[in-house]
Amino acid sequence: MNASAPLWEFVDISNAYPGVLANDSVCIKLLARSIHGLLGENGCGKSTMIKTLSGVKQPDSGQILKDGRPVQISDPQVARAMGIATVFQEFSIVPTLSVGENIFLGNMPRSSLGVVDWKRVHSDAAAVLAEMEVDISTEAITGQLSVGEQQLVEIAKAVAMRASMIVLDEPTAALGEGEIERLHQLLRTMRDKGTGILYVSHRLDEVERIVDEVTILRNGRVVRASGETEINVREIVTAMVGEDIGEHYPKERNAEDEVVLEARGIATNAGVNNVSFELRRGEVLGLGGVLGSGRTEIARALFGTDDLTAGRVVLNGRPVAFRGEMDAIRAGLALVPENRKFDGLFFNFRASGNITAASLGKLARLGLLDLKREERATQSLIDDLEISAQAEEKTVNFLSGGNQQKIVIARWLFSNAGILILDEPTQGIDIGAKIAVYNLINELTRDGRSIILISSDHDELLAMSDRIAVVQHGTIRRIANAAELDHDDLVRASASTGRNREEGEALA
Amino acid sequence: MKRIFDAQLIGPFAALVIVSLVVALTTERFLNPGNLSNLSLQVSIVALIAIGSTIVIFAAGIDLSSGSMVALLTMIFALMLKFVGVPLVLAVPLILVAGALLGLLIGVITAYGRIPSFITTLAALIAFRGLALTFNNGSPIFSLDPALEPLFYGKFVGIPLPFFYLVFFYGLAAFTMNFSKLGREIYAVGGNPAAAVLTGINVRKVQAITFVIAGFMTAVGAVLMSARLNSGSPNYGQTLELQAIAAAVVGGASLAGGRGNILATLMGAMTIVIVQNGLNLNAAPSSVQNIVLGLIILLAVGIDMWRTEISALVARVSGRKPDAEAAAGKKAG
Repeated sequence: MNASAPLWEFVDISNAYPGVLANDSVCIKLLARSIHGLLGENGCGKSTMIKTLSGVKQPDSGQILKDGRPVQISDPQVARAMGIATVFQEFSIVPTLSVGENIFLGNMPRSSLGVVDWKRVHSDAAAVLAEMEVDISTEAITGQLSVGEQQLVEIAKAVAMRASMIVLDEPTAALGEGEIERLHQLLRTMRDKGTGILYVSHRLDEVERIVDEVTILRNGRVVRASGETEINVREIVTAMVGEDIGEHYPKERNAEDEVVLEARGIATNAGVNNVSFELRRGEVLGLGGVLGSGRTEIARALFGTDDLTAGRVVLNGRPVAFRGEMDAIRAGLALVPENRKFDGLFFNFRASGNITAASLGKLARLGLLDLKREERATQSLIDDLEISAQAEEKTVNFLSGGNQQKIVIARWLFSNAGILILDEPTQGIDIGAKIAVYNLINELTRDGRSIILISSDHDELLAMSDRIAVVQHGTIRRIANAAELDHDDLVRASASTGRNREEGEALA
Repeated sequence: MKRIFDAQLIGPFAALVIVSLVVALTTERFLNPGNLSNLSLQVSIVALIAIGSTIVIFAAGIDLSSGSMVALLTMIFALMLKFVGVPLVLAVPLILVAGALLGLLIGVITAYGRIPSFITTLAALIAFRGLALTFNNGSPIFSLDPALEPLFYGKFVGIPLPFFYLVFFYGLAAFTMNFSKLGREIYAVGGNPAAAVLTGINVRKVQAITFVIAGFMTAVGAVLMSARLNSGSPNYGQTLELQAIAAAVVGGASLAGGRGNILATLMGAMTIVIVQNGLNLNAAPSSVQNIVLGLIILLAVGIDMWRTEISALVARVSGRKPDAEAAAGKKAG
């Protein structure tokens, strides 16, 4: 073991886009047997850097050294051939194929006749999963696995190709606490077996737990590179944002007594079972629990996506029966979905079209849109929420995740929705954008609107909720003031759910 | 106005200008007033039907039915005028309503029956042509009404009437797509149907409406077709649906939905017709014309898909940095 000789070295990498220097002479050394954290706010140049080292983008200048020799990573195939496997935030698995097929996708073991050797596909895949100490059937259809398990499959692909360097872009964005622990355990094991890991994350708490070294980018430059094992979250935040952020969670308490929404023993075929709670005006009600515990399903039940099989929903004192999302929206509910890429944004629109999409009726007279008013409203929201100035010049696919999320929430700020369900609203966005979302939550509740907050980030849930309902197996186990709960209460509830779920799967 | 005449028009407009120049320089009679007037007649039917085809494409659907629907509607139109004795002033609105209703039928089956529009309109393509053949023993009906040609295919102040129809309907379509709630909803549904549902847009209704518009515009095309030849025939409109879709594609409409400018479709239709006209004037056989049409469609889609490579090439030639927008656009597409 030679820890001092870097496996990969990126020297003075620069990448420019029109008007932006995304990477400005960035140097990163990646060692074998080491987990290297790459951190920074949105727009700091992390994504461009990942693209460069996975062969998606060629650097405008700079040098890449592998084992000390200059190389060119001309495309993603070359990157893989050189042993770099990148697990992007958007997985590249094929949901309709089996786990085994996905693990060897594009590289299927073949028999002497050139036909796919299915026995070996599954036995080799099983060997890879066993090596990772992951218990997933190679025959399972990948799309039916949980997000966490899908990610493990994605990592198994990297292991199967014997990658010497694995790049993980926001690996825990969609994972619950138990799954994160499992992932970290796996990464440590892989590190100890000699793999180098580049770990990109916004979840600072976990960075502290897992990372051996860290590089922090700001405005395209390296502001801090440490070989130290002592990594201090507060210092990282300061280095990332460029200023000392005093309050991580700027919580305002705006809850009043008036009950605006009440669920009475609701159930659906999607697994929601006898759920009852009350939501007050201006309140943030957190839903805690692991992935698959039924939080999203409760949201779907409230929103009319899934039909109720029992119970009723009472809105402002009147029972309602939504036959679909349209009814719910008309009644003043809004759902900001977990997957903003697929369910939230119109990539063919600029900021304005996205912000006003839910309120076209408000902008229209006799079927014609008041475009001047749309422009004014959009501009003021862009200013208020500090959305990128480019948001009105380009379609939203050119914006960062944080800006995109602000636009999705701004949509409901512009609408008259009184009750918002935010499903993982800060997933995959950086600390600065997160704080902006928290401020938005405050603004909404100050305005008398109520929020149901679903989050796998326990710190966030505890800090931003007024009350928290702990969800397990599709039902609410406990509702308490957020102040009376702590991290352990949520972790314990999550952990026991996780274990039960695994047992359930083992039985099935 | 800035909204209507946006950057999406530059490419199709450049293509139109280049094609016109090439044809004008290689063909003597191209710029004759007679030929130009003939051109505007030729382009009118395709371009009017292409309004509907494009709007369907904006909502991420596809309409293959328009050619057969033209045949069916000209037959119904001819039957009404010739055998039932319906007066022209009544027959024309009835045909327009019939077109809209056929569109509604397709739209409802597609949107509420959750059958892909490729399939529903393919079925309609086959069935409408068959239905048209059941009338009058499958024979064309001639000499419908002497007033038909001057009313719909004649001239006003020396300009062919179809030119005015084009201006009117494209104006209306551009206005609807850019300034109305419906237009915005069509783009939203085409851009991301899942997000459209979550913003409270009635996705199925919007999809169905695009087919009603397509049916109506097809009926307008059918009336012009009947007027042009003073007849109805079950053989009219063959491959018209493909020309209309080609016009949309050459105009830059994304077949994935959500993107495109309706006025660019007019330019696309003109480009296609001018190419055909140039080949005609140079006595190219129709087989060559079809081959060229195929290549134009391929090229138009290719230019859209190869944006990154083209901008990189332009950058290398001009020594500028490659355009990040084109690169990101490719990724998103």
